[in-house]
Amino acid sequence: MRNSLNFLATNPCCQMSDNKKMNSIKLVFVCLAALLVGCNQSNTEQPADTEKTAIKVIESGATVQTGLPSHYPIGHSVSAEVIAGWDIEIRPDGLGLPEGVGSVEDGEALYEEKCSMCHGSFGEGEEQWPKLAGGQGSLEEARPEKTVGSFWPYASTLWDYINRAMPFPAPQSLEPDEVYAITAYVLSLNEIVDDEFVLTKENFATIEMPNKDGFYVDDRPDTNNQRCMQDCKDPASIKVVLGPEYSLGKKTNDKVEASTETTVASSEQQAKETYESVCKVCHAAGIANAPKLGNKEDWTERLKQGTQAIYNNALNGLNGMPAKGGRSDLSDDAVKSAVDYMLTTLE
Amino acid sequence: MDGFSQKEEQRLLKTLQQESDNLGLVERRKFLKNAMVMVGAGAVVAQTGSVIASSNLPPAVPSWSRKLGDGVLTNPYGLPSDYEKDTIRRTVGWLTPDRISSISMTPLHKLKGIITPNGLAFERYHGGLPDINPDEHRLIIHGLVERPLIFTMDELKRFPSVSEIKFLECPANGGMEWKAPQMEGLQFTHGMLSCCEWTGVRLSTLLDAVGVKPEGKWILAEGADGSGMTRSIPMEKALDDAIIVYAQNGEALRKEQGYPIRLMNPGWEGNTCIKWLRRLEIGDKPWYQREETSKYTDLMPDGRARKFSFVQECNSVITSPSPEVPLKVKGWYEIEGIAWSGKGKIKGVDISLDGGVSWRPAPLKGMIISKCLTRFSYMYNWQGEPLLLQSRAWDETGYVQPTFKQLRAERGGNSIYHRNAIHTWKVHSNGSVQNAQLS
Repeated sequence: MRNSLNFLATNPCCQMSDNKKMNSIKLVFVCLAALLVGCNQSNTEQPADTEKTAIKVIESGATVQTGLPSHYPIGHSVSAEVIAGWDIEIRPDGLGLPEGVGSVEDGEALYEEKCSMCHGSFGEGEEQWPKLAGGQGSLEEARPEKTVGSFWPYASTLWDYINRAMPFPAPQSLEPDEVYAITAYVLSLNEIVDDEFVLTKENFATIEMPNKDGFYVDDRPDTNNQRCMQDCKDPASIKVVLGPEYSLGKKTNDKVEASTETTVASSEQQAKETYESVCKVCHAAGIANAPKLGNKEDWTERLKQGTQAIYNNALNGLNGMPAKGGRSDLSDDAVKSAVDYMLTTLE
Repeated sequence: MDGFSQKEEQRLLKTLQQESDNLGLVERRKFLKNAMVMVGAGAVVAQTGSVIASSNLPPAVPSWSRKLGDGVLTNPYGLPSDYEKDTIRRTVGWLTPDRISSISMTPLHKLKGIITPNGLAFERYHGGLPDINPDEHRLIIHGLVERPLIFTMDELKRFPSVSEIKFLECPANGGMEWKAPQMEGLQFTHGMLSCCEWTGVRLSTLLDAVGVKPEGKWILAEGADGSGMTRSIPMEKALDDAIIVYAQNGEALRKEQGYPIRLMNPGWEGNTCIKWLRRLEIGDKPWYQREETSKYTDLMPDGRARKFSFVQECNSVITSPSPEVPLKVKGWYEIEGIAWSGKGKIKGVDISLDGGVSWRPAPLKGMIISKCLTRFSYMYNWQGEPLLLQSRAWDETGYVQPTFKQLRAERGGNSIYHRNAIHTWKVHSNGSVQNAQLS
């Protein structure tokens, strides 16, 4: 909540009590006094546990403690400034949006640089990564395409999610204007705004999504099965559709993989695991100009600098590549092994 | 065994066994493996498939009875026996484009009772597994409250705590099977499910501490992971039974489960139980975040979608036999399984051997706890006949688990989530078990 009682709300000593109504002059005086003498931040207000507690045996024979406070004064007051750093969500009515502006035109360049490698240049989605555009009118079809344009009910969700979680390898890295611009561009890919559109905090609430009325509150239970016990159906009517035969442990099955965490793997496997879990997100598709796995062309220039230089870039970061791929918990050796693994794919 | 007389062979194998007795387990295995290659694989077959084990069977005195074992603290944090290496979480590679935003499944076929061991509880991440220093983690509660507060982890532990055994299920559990039986085993058809004892402070206790204003009707819960996972939770649930959890099955919450703290909404979609919880904001309306619009909404045949479909309705599955646990010989077996309901206690489970033509009640066993896995069991003397095994649970609201046909008639094939249909295992006459659907 971003309210205006700035001084009072931000001073940790001056949270208003719920049961003691003070007038504001007195409150300001108390706060100034607190500032002068310093305040004990470990309490949010006067302790509420002055009543004496007692132990009582209730009807069931259990023992309970009575006379406990209605609430426990544990925790610290928190200022509006501190809250603001984390209070990032946006609501459909625009509540929470920061000041900012972004055009479809600016958004296109940003999108191409930061988003297109996964979501496709036109929002069509690369490989299994989410499709962002198209699919309007497909929701009743056998294979519906649930995109921003065909499915999402509110534009605020788009702004919010780009801001909090995108781009995938670097969440919470975009400036507000960039988020406005990329949001505007994704809306234009869905023909919700035109190519000249400039999105701002002020005009945000005017955006209307095609599927805004496409949702209703859960109305389950929607089935009414009965406990029939005998002759519940004609045995001759039963048609059995069989799934795949169970094969795990009988033969190699690339579809089913053990979770990384508990697999005891050889060093080579571990290097591959590191690649899969850390590096692949960028190096498979070439996100942020990352050299692609197995693509000799991408690696030629880098290899000329020698393996040590590549190790150093992987460990310390370079351009779009964060140090250790953003996984500071990895050992240097684990990162180097992953580099080695990636280089073996070029042989 | 080629080239050896029976006497020579026995002497050789005995020597191998004695030589290996003084080695550690891993070395012993390695030694024997190499030795067996030298002697020839024929030896294993010649001795009814278990040469090495047979020297430990009665009347022989087992090797482990004739020496001392490892001392205490060999494993300061204990691990399962080396013979249980395949009791692990697994994933399905084609389900997601990478493993950072992905899921792994609990090996339900390996579990007994109702508690899921901490290392086996299914994982679900949307932005990978964060590594959080609890000393640097905070929970902020703000919005429509009298006293916005920030808590350290130590402060949260000063509040009165509760410990409750509750199941946790991803609403997409079984979601790969709306169109056909695609998965080959129980771990993949039902493994987005776990059940633990969760310890923490009631959310209502924390809400008392901040003083919710009368207009506060919804709570935004937000995680500190790279996806900044968020869901809007109605105030009624928060005041009813939600818990801010910091311990799981007696020890600190596992990283995979949200260390140092997570939200637990008993009986509701696992996705609402925000992990790595950093913030709760009180508001007067829901926020319509990505995970309650684009995802975790149920698309119906008319092209509209259900929103805020929080509850995990009554469900059950037979865990043994199952594709992973086939019938090996004729005779008596315990047909066993688990049932659960997000609306309360399991009242009963019926099982069918003939694909739902006839049903018989299967006794419940062990503890019967609200919103918790409940075991059922039925003894059966199998004589090699093919079976179509099913279980059908019902809960204290009177709701009976639907057939797949009933569910499809209402929801079509595109709603992804909340597929709680009666499940079928086809037991073949050779005892193998295969995933099946009845049409």
